[in-house]
Order: sequence, then C-alpha cells, then structure tokens
Amino acid sequence: MLSFAVRRLVMLVPVFLAVSMIIFLIIHLIPGDPIDNLIRTGSTPEQKAILTAKYGLDRSLVEQYVIWLKKLLNGDLGEAIILRRPVSSLITQNLPYSLALGGLALLFSTVVGIVTGSLAAIYKDSALDRGVMALILLGSTVPSFWLGLLMILVFSVQLGWFPVSGARNWHSLVLPVLTVGLGGTALVARVTRVAMVDVAQKDFVTLLHAKGLAPLRIQLRHVLRHALLPVITILGLRIGWILGGAVTVEIVFARPGLGTLLIKSLNQRDYPVVQGCLLMLAIAVMLGTFLGDLIQAAVDPRVRGNLK
Amino acid sequence: MRQLTKAVLFSSAILFSSALGGTASMSSAWAQEAIVVFGSNDVGAPTYNPIKASILNTATSLIYDRLVEQDADHSFHPHLATSWETTPDGMEWTFKLRQGVKFHNGEPFNAKTIEAWIPLFKGTDNEYLVGGIDQVVVVDDYTVKFKMKHPDANLLFNLASVFMGVPEPKAYQTLGDKFGITEAIGTGPYKLESFTVGQETVLARNDDYTWGSDLSVNKGPAKIEKLTFREIAEESTAFLELKTGGVDMLLSVPTEFIPELQKEKSIAVNSMPGLDVMYMPINVTSAPFTDIKVREAAALAINQKEILSSIYKGVGLEAHNFLISSLQESKVDPKYDISYDPEKAKKLLEEAGWKAGGDGVRVKDGQPLKVKLWTQSDSEFKRVTEAVQAQLKAIGMQADITTFDSSTIRDQYKKNEHQLAVRSYSWGNADILDWFFNGERLGYPNISMFKDPKADELDNKALTQSRSWDERVANFKTYHEYILSQFPFAPIYQPMQNTAYNKDRLTLPQKIRGTQIGTETFLDMAAAD
Repeated sequence: MLSFAVRRLVMLVPVFLAVSMIIFLIIHLIPGDPIDNLIRTGSTPEQKAILTAKYGLDRSLVEQYVIWLKKLLNGDLGEAIILRRPVSSLITQNLPYSLALGGLALLFSTVVGIVTGSLAAIYKDSALDRGVMALILLGSTVPSFWLGLLMILVFSVQLGWFPVSGARNWHSLVLPVLTVGLGGTALVARVTRVAMVDVAQKDFVTLLHAKGLAPLRIQLRHVLRHALLPVITILGLRIGWILGGAVTVEIVFARPGLGTLLIKSLNQRDYPVVQGCLLMLAIAVMLGTFLGDLIQAAVDPRVRGNLK
Repeated sequence: MRQLTKAVLFSSAILFSSALGGTASMSSAWAQEAIVVFGSNDVGAPTYNPIKASILNTATSLIYDRLVEQDADHSFHPHLATSWETTPDGMEWTFKLRQGVKFHNGEPFNAKTIEAWIPLFKGTDNEYLVGGIDQVVVVDDYTVKFKMKHPDANLLFNLASVFMGVPEPKAYQTLGDKFGITEAIGTGPYKLESFTVGQETVLARNDDYTWGSDLSVNKGPAKIEKLTFREIAEESTAFLELKTGGVDMLLSVPTEFIPELQKEKSIAVNSMPGLDVMYMPINVTSAPFTDIKVREAAALAINQKEILSSIYKGVGLEAHNFLISSLQESKVDPKYDISYDPEKAKKLLEEAGWKAGGDGVRVKDGQPLKVKLWTQSDSEFKRVTEAVQAQLKAIGMQADITTFDSSTIRDQYKKNEHQLAVRSYSWGNADILDWFFNGERLGYPNISMFKDPKADELDNKALTQSRSWDERVANFKTYHEYILSQFPFAPIYQPMQNTAYNKDRLTLPQKIRGTQIGTETFLDMAAAD
C-alpha cells in the first residue's frame, strides 16, 4: 500500500511541471498587460518602461518562466503586480474561505447525493425515483449564478433568515454552501443511482436474494458498498473543484476566496496572482485524484493489483 | 454576452421571488455605525499609501486630509493650507498652514511635515504630481514655500487630489512597505482600524478632529463613530444588501438600478454630475476615416439625446465635446461642439464620394461603407454600441460590432486594426486631452491614432507653459477646440454619480460638496432619528 502511494506521488512530479508550464503560457499569451492597469492617467511612456522592467516583463517568456519556476521550487510564489503583496499572503488570506465553502459543499453533496441516489435506486421506476431524478436534472442545469440570486431573494430578502452576502459568521455560509452543494448533489446522486442499479443486476446479488436476505439489507450492505467505488472516483475529482468550483457563487455572495481573487486578478492580468491561484487549483486536483486513488485502493484490492 | 445573460437572469430571479409575495421586514439595532459599500471603481484598491498607490478608494480621503480641497464646480478651497499665493511668473508658491492639527499618532502637523513629505514622492509612479517642485523651504513653523523648476498651473489640482493626502512622514519611513497596508496615519476625521484587501475596511472616528474644511458644515469630529466599507463586486448583490438593510449606503449605483431603488420607501438616491465621459474614438489613420468629411459625418450621426433618453432614461447629460461639463475648458465656442445632424452627415458623405447604395449602405468605387465598431463586454457598453450602430446605419454606414474584455481591448488597440469604438474615461481635469490625443501615445491611450503637429504644439503649450490656472484654462480650451475641429472622436454621454442610502438610518447633506462623495459628506453625515 505504501509503495503504491509513493509510486503515485512520484508520477505527480512530471504532471506538476507540465501544468506549471501550461499555466504560465496561457496567462502570458492571452492579450492584455498588467502594467496598462497599473499606470495612472498622465504617466509617461518612460515610467511604463521602468515598471515593465521592474516586474521583469521585458524579458523573454522562457527567461520569465525559468525565474518563476526557480522561485516556485524555493516556495516563493512571487509578488503581486497590482495587489502589491506576496502572492502567498493573498492565498493564505483567501484559502480558508474557499476551503470552508468548498469543503462543506462537498460534504453536503456527498451525503445528500448518496442518500437520494440510493433511494432512487432502491425504489427504481417509482414516483420517488422520477421525482428525485427530475429535481436532480434541475439542480445540475440551473446556472449557479441564478440559483444564488434566487436563494438570496427567497431566504434573505423575503424570509430574512440569512444575510445577503459577506463572510462574517456561519450564517453567511448557509446559502453559498447550498448553492454550490446542489450542483454537486446532482452528480453524486446520479452516479450512485446508476452504479447501484448496475450492481443490483450482478450474479452475486441474485445469489444473496436466493439466500433469503432482506432486500433492504442487500441494497445497503452489499449493493451500495460496491456501487460506492465510482462515487469515490468522482469525489476525488471534486476535491480540486472544492477550491475552484465556487467562483461565480463567491462573487454573487461577495465572499472572499480563491475564485474571487482569481477572477479579479485575471481581469487585471496580475500574472503572479493568477499563476499562484491556478497552481493551487491544479495541486488540489492532483492531490484529490491521488487521494481518490488511495481510498479506492484501500477499499478495493483489485485496484492495487492492477497497478503492480 | 455574459453580462447580458446575467442581467436577464437577475431580472428573472426578481420576478420569480416577487411571485412568492411579501417583503420581509428586517430590523437591526441602530448603533453609531454605518456600513458603506464601495463603488465599483474602488473595489480592489490594494493600499492606503497615497504616495505609492495607483488606485485609492473613497475611504482614503477620510484617513488623510489634503492641503487644498476642490468643490463640485472645480473651485479650490483651503483645508490644511489656510491660504496660498504665487508669484506672477509661477516660480514660487507660499502656503500658510493650519495650526493645531495633529496626526492620528499624536505627531504635530507643521511646515516640517511638508518638507519631509514632498520628497517621498521621488521615484514613485506619482512623482509627476510634484514634478514641478524643485525645493521646499520652511519659512516658519506654519509657512512653507515651494520653489519651482518650471511653472505648474495644475499644482492646486494635484494638491487637492486624494494622492496628495498628507501622511505622517515619520510613521511612513518607519513602516516602510507596510504603510497603508497594516497601518495608515493621517490627520483625517477617521483612523484606519483594519483593512483586508478586496474585502473590508473599518474606520474609527478621530475624536480630536476640529479642522474640517469650509466645504462641510461640521468642522469637528464626525457624527458617526465607526464606518465599515465593504467591497462587493457584484452590483445586484450590493443592491439587495441595501434593500434588506444589510448595508446603509452604496457609493455607486448603476443608472439602470435607479427605477428599482426608487420603489423602496426607505431608500434615497442622490445623483450628482460625474467625472465620466462616454465617447466614440475614430481611428484617423484607417480608411475611410482618413477623410475628415467621413469622420465628421460619423460624429454627426450620433444622437446624444436619443441615447440619453432611451438607454439612460434621462439620467445623466448629453456629451457634446470631450470634457465633463463642470470643467471650464468644456465651455468651448459653440461652433466646435459636436451635435446630432443627420442631414449634414449625409451631405458630407455625398461630398466625400459615398453614394447611396441599394441596401441602405453607401458605396464608393464599388466598395460598401462598412466599418469596424469595437466595444467592451459590459452590458451598458453593449447597449450603447448597438444604439450607435443603428445611428450610423441611418446615414448609410454599416458598422460591425466586435466585443472584447477590458484588458484585451487595450492590447488590440495597439495593433492599429480598429476603426470605431465605444468607451469611456473618468477624469476631472482638462489634461485628459493630452492623455488621449498626444501624438506620443498612439494605440493606447491615443486610440484615435491622432498625430497632428499643431495639436501637439497646443498641447505642449497648455501643459507646460501655462503660468496660472486661468492661462491654463484658456490654453486647454484652444487645444480642445482644435481637437474638436479635426473629429478624431464623437462625444456620446456623461453619466451621473449615483449614490443610494437608507434614509431610515442615515441623513446626508442636501447638497454634496466636493468633486465626489468624500470627507465633506462623511463629516456631515449623521444617524437618522
């Protein structure tokens, strides 16, 4: 198991290098220039040239990348051009908010998704199944921006239960978590349902029925357990999404977080911040996948065997 | 497109929720505290260091006082400087300073402060603000003299800008890069209590304050103890916060939200002339606009009145030249003002050889009169651009719209592939003419690609050779008139600065003094009974 973990970790190194290069290239190749956003009305072209040189933007892309990578390997994410702070401090300031929102939303969608998915599978083709699946279809297709505004209008404006926006206390977390969580719930519920229906048709389930076990016990103890494997894979992929999946929701609820920071910096072409944020998201996705693999390997010996 | 979709979704969400009926009554105890939402231009200001910043938000003007204040009519008023005089050649300025002023950390404000403060600009992006000052001479404890390198008729304007709010020089030196981020020490009516970039700024009242300028009725400590400024990038969310009583005031409100706000009994909306002008730059190097007649025709095709009434519901002002109407330099000889005249526009196109074609698009030498019209992705720009497109069509010019995001479009301008565009600027000084039309900055900011020796000569004269404010006004007016005569742009619209507040919680002065909501307004603001 340990060697499996180590091997998977080593595989992440080239992925990390490739990802860092792609991130760097994408942000530098799109049109736009942070210095244009930095200079003030009335400044001279000479001042602009000085600023461009100060942030090393007059060097070749290869040089800039090597400088950034060298710093990165020393744990230095650089200094924000527009926001004028170390990128690491901006990320530490915003990360807890993203983790709280994303983590709780993931928890919500996992629990509610598995429960509703199982219900739909157990009562397959019943009114309950159709109702749940219809709701899920709605949940996965409604844009989160609109859903967020609707939540605000209903629960904050009409009912006055929760604050409209901000991040001052746990109250302000409820609506964003629901908004982000509902989208994820749809996915988890659908995967759970399909997997359970699939497993329920396997020979060993027929055997269990033949042995005379209670149907509900078979569904929960045996079918669900087998059906959770694809759900774990999906959840592993969603860990990366914890940090980056809530961008529009963060903006609607005026919550601080990596998404808000990323969008703002992208609009202003604050290269070091965008690179830092995207790298964080990439690392989260990589670690999430890695974690998902580990859990899967722990649960299912066949996975471990395949990788040897 | 994204913005438009958002607007549609927002209104559909409102409809949906009103179907649910009822309005919740929010009650929250009124304390001596006000929660204010920054305007969209203020969002993301990274620092409260006025010397090094490139953007500063409204809270900055409450932390630092300036030597001079500027009123809405652009006149100058004493503040930390009680009076000033200049020699006829403009080479010396003497300022008498207010006595009894103290910084937030207890240090006194006097001539030594100014002597230490001015040199701090050296090597910063804002150095040009004091670029004309050669030497600061301390005459006595409360008198300083600026010896100039060259006359700077714009000195008072610079001194009144938020970038020349006076920080405490000792704390400035000691705190280094942290000044303006962890601490900010000025003489203003509020002290910085906490600052989280992109999120929130909390200010606490300066109880020792007794030196308000004559732009505020209240000269003593502010009436509200604590101000919390929140940054909310999404305007719909800010609107809903005000509606539910989550916040007390929005420093800027898009014009399209005003009808919705006016329906609320507890909300008051204040509109004052703004600093923005929306206009259509015309690339003078791109055919057919190399022909001045075609440029003039395009400019005369713009129906300012229709755009103001149909898109902005009459809130704002028509623009007929390049500068905001409150500036003296905008009062050009009326014959230079650019106004809607479709008949003359059509005649000019005829004269230029563009004859009416079959499908309403004019033709010359077998070529149709098709041009490119660029715009930014915000919904407001898109709507104005579509109106402009229809108005150009009416004189036989077919404009094809391309939309870019605001950072991308600047890079695109530098490629010189553009012809017409719809954009806006925000600035309260005639030197914006130099920024957008000086021949040295072709591409961006000189989107019109306007390089004209006579214009540059007039620009240079106005910018560097004016010895007094009046002379500067006259010189810039001449430069402005010359630019107008060459049609490198078409004026469109001047938006208002709209603010909205909860009148059950706050009272604001009847008339807003100053060029924007700032120190004066916050000193006079009080809790409602």
